[in-house]
Amino acid sequence: MDKQYKVQVKDLHKSYGENEVLKGIDLAVKPSEVVCMIGPSGSGKSTFLRCLNRLEVPNSGHIYIDGYDIADSKTDINLVRQNIGMVFQHFNLFPNMSVIDNITLAPVELKKMSKEEAQEAALHYLDIVGLKEKANVNPRTLSGGQKQRVAIARALAMKPDVMLFDEPTSALDPEMVGDVLGVMQDLAKEGMTMIVVTHEMGFAKRVADRVVFFHDGKIREDGTPEQIFDHPQHPDTQNFLNKVLNV
Amino acid sequence: MKKSWWQRTIISCAVMLMTTFAGLFVNKQVAHAEQTYTIGVVDTFAPFEIQNKQGTYTGKNPGIEPEMIRMIAKHEHFKYRYKIMSFNAILQAMQSGQIDAGMGGMSVTDERKATIDFSTSYYKDGIVMAVGKNSKITKMSQLKGKTVDVKSGAAGALYAESIKDKYGFKIKYFTTSNAMWNDVKSGNGAATFDDGPVLQYGIRNGMPLKIVTKQINATPIAIGFKKGQNKELQAKINDGIKWMQKTGRMQKLIDKYTKGSGTKTESSKDRTIFGLIKNNRKALLTGLWETIELTIIGSLCALAFGLVLGVMGIAEGKFWKGLSSTIIYIFRGIPMMVLAFFIYIGLPNLTGQKIPLFTAGILTLMLDEGAYVGAIVRGGFEAVDVGQWEAARSLGLPYSKALVKVIAPQGLKIMVPSLVNQLIITLKDTSILSAIGVMELTQTGTVIIARNMEGFKMWLIIAVMYMIIITLLTWLSNYVQKRMEA
Repeated sequence: MDKQYKVQVKDLHKSYGENEVLKGIDLAVKPSEVVCMIGPSGSGKSTFLRCLNRLEVPNSGHIYIDGYDIADSKTDINLVRQNIGMVFQHFNLFPNMSVIDNITLAPVELKKMSKEEAQEAALHYLDIVGLKEKANVNPRTLSGGQKQRVAIARALAMKPDVMLFDEPTSALDPEMVGDVLGVMQDLAKEGMTMIVVTHEMGFAKRVADRVVFFHDGKIREDGTPEQIFDHPQHPDTQNFLNKVLNV
Repeated sequence: MKKSWWQRTIISCAVMLMTTFAGLFVNKQVAHAEQTYTIGVVDTFAPFEIQNKQGTYTGKNPGIEPEMIRMIAKHEHFKYRYKIMSFNAILQAMQSGQIDAGMGGMSVTDERKATIDFSTSYYKDGIVMAVGKNSKITKMSQLKGKTVDVKSGAAGALYAESIKDKYGFKIKYFTTSNAMWNDVKSGNGAATFDDGPVLQYGIRNGMPLKIVTKQINATPIAIGFKKGQNKELQAKINDGIKWMQKTGRMQKLIDKYTKGSGTKTESSKDRTIFGLIKNNRKALLTGLWETIELTIIGSLCALAFGLVLGVMGIAEGKFWKGLSSTIIYIFRGIPMMVLAFFIYIGLPNLTGQKIPLFTAGILTLMLDEGAYVGAIVRGGFEAVDVGQWEAARSLGLPYSKALVKVIAPQGLKIMVPSLVNQLIITLKDTSILSAIGVMELTQTGTVIIARNMEGFKMWLIIAVMYMIIITLLTWLSNYVQKRMEA
């Protein structure tokens, strides 16, 4: 693996039975880089993202993050996952605990932080996402956008090196999308390494350092937002962008 | 950190489970330390056996056999302990070595001699045929095409089987005399073959039947022992019987129970529902308490067992999943009564270790109800959104922590209504344990009815008692569920 990259993926393959979903993916992400992955449904971008913290187990290939090979079954995945934040489409907040307990659970259990210390940190992250006053409510009472911001704070509380976002705004009402994207944009400015699967082309254009176009289990095109959005080279990319941009 | 309610529940379950097994172990130790004989004795089978209100054979008139054993033990200097069970269970328990001797007006037959050693016979007992008070049947030849009621394993049954083809009747089997007599009384069964003295006692105590034949096939009655075992006890009892016969004590004892009405049970003024409750209050409450104890300890053990099965059922490895499904499949597939017989009578045959009755009951409940709880727990865990697992694991929580902190609390909440339902089923299922002789509420009822013949009123009382407890349990569970949602 190359030291200059935060995340490095080499020839990654993933199949469900006969159906090959990832057909050899290579990708390298530098520290503080924001990479947006776009592409039609079923192109494999979400599966790829889920391979990065082994929610899906790849069939072959290598994924290096912080010097660990995620794809290697001997790697202590629980340890590596502590440094990889994951934000889901459906938030997946724990309804059996309050907002602040959602955030302090992992730091207290895994980083052996004291409850007080963890709570102080949690309030700090809630402040970052603009929800400090919701610390003690049950997640069920929050709106979708608020839930997703709590989910981001929960991931941040583990002080991850890399953040993975799996369509973080797809389940939100349109008026909530802006708040969540705003928080993500701030994170990017702070220098967080981020890999984002998204359908928000505006966000990709504005915030991404690089845009990766997935099609049929492969990366078709990889470049700056200008390259991809203004001068797409591959006909599949042109086709896809025509469909999503000219609605 | 403070432990949440369900963590405490799991811990207390585990403690209960360990205590139960520790208890089993200690019981065994005690049983080995004392040289006390265990004698299996049937539920009330008057005049041979008459249980008192507490369901034991202490007191002034325990019946011919318990009184005889009491005298012989004193004369021959040995200690004994009774195990009360059905007649069939005695025959099986004797062969499995659960008991050292068995009694219950047991006829000496050639068939039984193959597996049982008998003491000297102390009495001869014949079969009689009885019919309903107003029945027109007076002869066996009138039984063609009709149903005859007998008690399975008893001499009356053996006799009925031998003449069944000759007279062309059908046989229906019962486990207690009382249920059988009531069947004849109601006209379902045309007649019954039963021991003469037993029927006479029943009729004297108000059962509206009449005896229409003389005593047939008078067979000797004796105490039974496992073939080839317990020669020592057999010799002592034979010696005692000889002594009683020589000194005239035996005839006096038999006369006491077969002539005159000195041993008649309850007077007729006590036979209203309230009179029956008042008379049997202590026995009913003891039986009720046994039922409650079985329910609580059995449910806790079943919960602990079920949690283990449930956690195994959602494990990542195929082995644990398969093991859990197999165990659930086996114990859900076996009727509880069969399981109870297997544990109490079958297992000692295999291991040579006696199992205390209560422990056998708890073990039965734990395995049978635990299998259902296991399926409930597995289902509850599986009903938690898979996204919860993913979120917890993505934070770096190991499987066990994700399960304990995130999945289980949500899963248990989903399970509560089903678990409460299972608790109520468990309470009702404890009645099945009466089959192996556990003196819980149902068995208490059987024993009381065998003595006072008040089937309808007693079962009504017992049904109402079950309903009261289940109503209270339902209220309690509704309260807990409301508290949990708040």
